[in-house]
Amino acid sequence: MNPIYLFFHKTGSPPWFYKYSGKLIPWLWAIFLGLTVYGLYLGLVVAPADYQQGESVRIMYLHVPSAWMSMMIYGLMAIMGIIALVWRIRIMEVLVISSAPVGAAFTAMALITGSLWGRPTWGTYWVWDARLTSELVLLFLYFGVILLYNAFDEPRKAARAASLMSIVGAVNLPIIYFSVEWWNTLHQGSSMGSEGPGIHPSMLLPLLLMATATKFFYGANLLSRARLLLLKQDHRKRWVQDVLSKESN
Amino acid sequence: MSHTPFILAAYLISGVILFWAAMAPVINKRSLLRQLKARKTRMEKSQ
Repeated sequence: MNPIYLFFHKTGSPPWFYKYSGKLIPWLWAIFLGLTVYGLYLGLVVAPADYQQGESVRIMYLHVPSAWMSMMIYGLMAIMGIIALVWRIRIMEVLVISSAPVGAAFTAMALITGSLWGRPTWGTYWVWDARLTSELVLLFLYFGVILLYNAFDEPRKAARAASLMSIVGAVNLPIIYFSVEWWNTLHQGSSMGSEGPGIHPSMLLPLLLMATATKFFYGANLLSRARLLLLKQDHRKRWVQDVLSKESN
Repeated sequence: MSHTPFILAAYLISGVILFWAAMAPVINKRSLLRQLKARKTRMEKSQ
């Protein structure tokens, strides 16, 4: 069999996915914790205050990675949604649904930390500018995917509807990204422009460490949620009964 | 204006959000396994 087909065939099997993702999760958490501790140390202790923003720049080590994650997760959901709808791979449906709460958490975090940064820097918690409003729309899209999934009794039908909504909602991603160029916004331009980062290395390193840490958080949390959803959906199947007997011993 | 309360609030709220996101599947899995075990025991008793 073609190795790519073999890979998808194996990872698409719920018992195989459950077994091997369980082995991966502790490693992902460990790397997340290590990167977060080091990133926070550099960001809160070593990195200097910004000459314009002052100490409030330290909020950026949370705000920027969570904003990146909010967009990245939705983009991945749209890609996995296409795979789920075209090839009918059940694991992909499960991953779309399991990604939504994690994405919503990061979007909420980006909005709240941005608001808390805006008060001392801009003098206001919120303005209805294009970047902030489109990010708020992204949060509602995540809620929409979660609510739509829960509105159906049949899990496969629910997952397909949620996958479709993920694909349609992806139109908001370029709006968020280019909003600072297309409209006059209070929000500043991209931190990582095409001409390279305009950030001093002492601030760039903790920012990149935190951004990498959030990827591992997403990985660990996504796999935990996907495993739970598989157990719920397959609770009458033999492999779940085997897991149950193993985990109760 | 002191920036400290804003920084503390940002880190605290983010910590709570991430902790909730991380713990929710763990708590739900425990509850699900408990339910499945209870159902299995009931079925074994009734047979």
